Amino acid sequence: MITLTRAESPGLRSRMDWMLAAAALGLCTIGTLAILSAASPLPYYGRVVQTHFVALAVGVLAFGHRSWLRLGHVTFQPTAMACICMVLVLASFLDKRANKAHTMPVFLLAGALVAPIALLILKQPDLSSTLVFFVMTLAMLFCAGASVSHLACLAGYGAVTLGLPVLWTLLSYRPEIAASPVAAFLAGLTHPGLRLLLAMAGIFAAAALLWRVCALARVPIHWIYFVTASLVLAAGLASAVVVNLQMKVYQRSRFVAMVAPEADSQGAAYNVNQALVAIGSGGLAGKGIFQGTQSHLGFLPERHTDFIFAVVGEEMGFWGACGVVLLYLLLIWRVVSAARLARDRYGFLVCCGIAAMFAAHLLINVGMCLGLFPVAGIPLPLLSYGGSSLVVTLWALGIVVNVYSRHYAFL
Amino acid sequence: MGAAVTGGRTPLYDRLEVLWTLCYCAGAVLALRLFQVQVAQNMEYARAAERNRTQMIRKAAPRGRIYDRSGDVLATSQAAFSLIYMPGKQNDDAYLQRLARDLTPSLKGDYEVILDSLKRSVREESAIRLAENLPPHTMFQLSELKTIYRGIDLIVEARRYYPYGASLAHLLGYLGRMDERDWKLLKREGYRVDARIGKLGLEKIFERDLRGVDGGIRMEVDAQGRLKRVLENIDWQAGANLHLTIDGKLQRAAEVALHKSPSGKGAAVVLDPRSGRILALASVPDFDPNQFLQPESSANLKELPEFNLATQGTFAPGSTFKIITSAAMLNEGKVDPHDGIYCPGYYDAGKRRFLCWEKKGHKHMEFLSGLANSCDVYFYRMGIKTGGDLIEKYEHMFGLGTKTRIALPGEKRGNVFGPQARAARGLSWHDGDTCNLAIGQGEVLVTPLQMAVVMGAVANRGVLWRPYFVERIEYPGDRPEYRQKPEELGRVQLKPGTWALLDEGLQLVVKSGTGGQVFTPGLVIRGKTGTAQNPQGGDNAWFVAYANKEGSQEPEIALAVLVQHGGHGSAAAGPVAKKILHAYFGVEDGAPAPRVAKSTAAAAALPAALLHELRPAQPPTRAR
Repeated sequence: MITLTRAESPGLRSRMDWMLAAAALGLCTIGTLAILSAASPLPYYGRVVQTHFVALAVGVLAFGHRSWLRLGHVTFQPTAMACICMVLVLASFLDKRANKAHTMPVFLLAGALVAPIALLILKQPDLSSTLVFFVMTLAMLFCAGASVSHLACLAGYGAVTLGLPVLWTLLSYRPEIAASPVAAFLAGLTHPGLRLLLAMAGIFAAAALLWRVCALARVPIHWIYFVTASLVLAAGLASAVVVNLQMKVYQRSRFVAMVAPEADSQGAAYNVNQALVAIGSGGLAGKGIFQGTQSHLGFLPERHTDFIFAVVGEEMGFWGACGVVLLYLLLIWRVVSAARLARDRYGFLVCCGIAAMFAAHLLINVGMCLGLFPVAGIPLPLLSYGGSSLVVTLWALGIVVNVYSRHYAFL
Repeated sequence: MGAAVTGGRTPLYDRLEVLWTLCYCAGAVLALRLFQVQVAQNMEYARAAERNRTQMIRKAAPRGRIYDRSGDVLATSQAAFSLIYMPGKQNDDAYLQRLARDLTPSLKGDYEVILDSLKRSVREESAIRLAENLPPHTMFQLSELKTIYRGIDLIVEARRYYPYGASLAHLLGYLGRMDERDWKLLKREGYRVDARIGKLGLEKIFERDLRGVDGGIRMEVDAQGRLKRVLENIDWQAGANLHLTIDGKLQRAAEVALHKSPSGKGAAVVLDPRSGRILALASVPDFDPNQFLQPESSANLKELPEFNLATQGTFAPGSTFKIITSAAMLNEGKVDPHDGIYCPGYYDAGKRRFLCWEKKGHKHMEFLSGLANSCDVYFYRMGIKTGGDLIEKYEHMFGLGTKTRIALPGEKRGNVFGPQARAARGLSWHDGDTCNLAIGQGEVLVTPLQMAVVMGAVANRGVLWRPYFVERIEYPGDRPEYRQKPEELGRVQLKPGTWALLDEGLQLVVKSGTGGQVFTPGLVIRGKTGTAQNPQGGDNAWFVAYANKEGSQEPEIALAVLVQHGGHGSAAAGPVAKKILHAYFGVEDGAPAPRVAKSTAAAAALPAALLHELRPAQPPTRAR
């Protein structure tokens, strides 16, 4: 279906072999696993949660992530697997409650279903995978017909949870801004304590006050909105404190590198800078395949995994990079088409989830290479080197093919 | 599983369409950003990538050489080993401190200084020279360290070398480190932070010509700094060569003679009266420009005698000024050269008594004997007869008080003394001042170079040449060489009879007068001694002259010698002038020149007589 499997790895034959083996393994799993999993996905759920606990317990420390699982000679990233499982589980769950998808209880239950896996990944810590998870969940709930206001609450909650730690980090790097009273107040909320409680109470009081003002001004807004808004804010604040405590120094510096690259040109900003130089120096037509100086002379870090798009940009230029983006959009479009043609709601939702997964990976990875997004350890599916990612991607595509083929009557 | 969604699925498809639209809009944003980075900003990123992958190893161009008129090398370059540091990936403070600590014993340097240099190099992202001209045993120690530490390297470099050491130091100048201000100005011109630049003299004036264009090897390197391949090998372009008018042998003879003079301080200027070419320009005390290239000697830079007495020192001309007084009185017809006076040893001008340097008096004197014996009373009386205004006019005619426009910075113009100059300052002029002026005392101040130019004009009967010392500049490549043409500063128009009389008088000075010291058979030397009193110390001794070989008509050489605080002109400056003349004309210095037996001339050598000329009647009206 897609022949993007160009391993632009630094010529290491063993890596190529391993990649090909993974591809073969992936293709084998497509047929078998896909059919099985599509038939009854729920038993996998327990397996996934179990796998993550194992990953945390005996996980191999690789790149600062405790996300690699070692089985004999083979290391494996369970996070990638979790994506597929989450899609299947959530699709199945929402399919069964098709008529009540817009109600609050279903929405909350769906959240409760996803939360343990998301928390486990966050604990690893893998902020970017959590973000992918979040995007996928939102997309699937949206496509399943969940209430937009519920989704807005969830998005708001997520924004506060992830946004506040980023804000705090930036404030700590910019003391001149932190000196202002508002910033000082915000910066003081990083740790649980009396001040935090006061802030939460303040949120509720402010909401109540605003409601009174609206009522007096005869602006007809239902009180439930104020309560919801303050609840979301307070919950977001609480989880932001947790996320902030969990955040590692390197993660913070990535945000800083994104906003103020001059602060640390040798550290976190180095990677993005070199990626930008690689892509920018490619020009319209590129330097020619295997002719990239940034990638082949070692200036571009992680060139065969996370920053592979920069290699494409450097060696194949603007046309090549646009071509890759277009091919991805084509791929996503095919997945979306499969969703449209799906015979049942389950297939539809699974395809939506997988499309969202691809889209999230594409946007985050390419955005990172182009300096639009903080550095995140997310591979570009089908292009980056990595067995786990390839197996999971092919698995996902297999499921899509499965859904697509079932729309014909003879299966 | 789920029931086929037929009627109710439309809104869900709409939602999917919304997401899909969002997705391809995001794709469009990516494409726009790609356009911005790859097409709009392509140039700057391409440059950044090029900077990343290429590294230059400089090949310093050899600095141009400096030759004297006979093609003898006065300044050249020699190969020498230097230790350099190139800041690499590992440049944290701990590494630099360790490196500095290990280098300190080998370089016999100061730990703090070495560390400072290393840090400066890292800050400027530019290679720095830690030591140069390394002896062999140090090199072995350092090549061991080279294997341990990244970034330090031993390189062969061209090092400036002046074969004759201190000779001509003031004119050649020297090379030195850039200070912060130079660095700010010059880093745009491709200088490296540790480059040496000309600090004085020719090295400074012709810095841009001498420097040449550096070449280098442009290499492709990987992120670890390992060489991948050589991209380009750019040859350096050597600096321009300077060919001077200076006669190296004459120059050294003048310097040796000045060093041996009573005070060991002074200046000598020798030029060709036919063109203004400077054959020697000596100033003592001097310094060895080679020592400026040793890094450790930079501490005692301040104490060095960079002051060029020949162009920057101004002194009263003393009796050598009588040449100008004579020109004025003879040419204006105020004095008949055969008019005689009687010198009793003093002259009373109004209430003041002016002494002759000969206490006993010269008895009967007329122009030729007066000039030959430097009789002060003759010039007092004839000066008053001529008038201060006329003498001042001739001072201007001979170019005193104006720069000779020699191409050296800091030249002094001296000072013209006379009624006009006095009036300009609102002061009145008296006969006593005329007496002082007539014998070159008072406020008149000249540089040795100005006196040499004056002697040149007397020798060639009128042309004041602009003195120059660069004959031609030889540029590398296709650029045509530059040739200096003689340039006139002005002409002194005197009657032929006046020139002839002056010539005869000056010849008599050497034949039978105060300059008898210098007399050399076979040479026709015209000279004049001078002993200028100096409120700051011992008298300054002058000897000015021009000469040619017997038989030839045209004088070939004009010179001015000043021995600071040397005492009497004939005793201190005379021998210096004589050695210069002998060196120029190739006269063997074995047998002493025949002494002139005349009593008046012999008297000049007597100490008692000396004292008198040293102490004229009136103390100087003004201090320098």
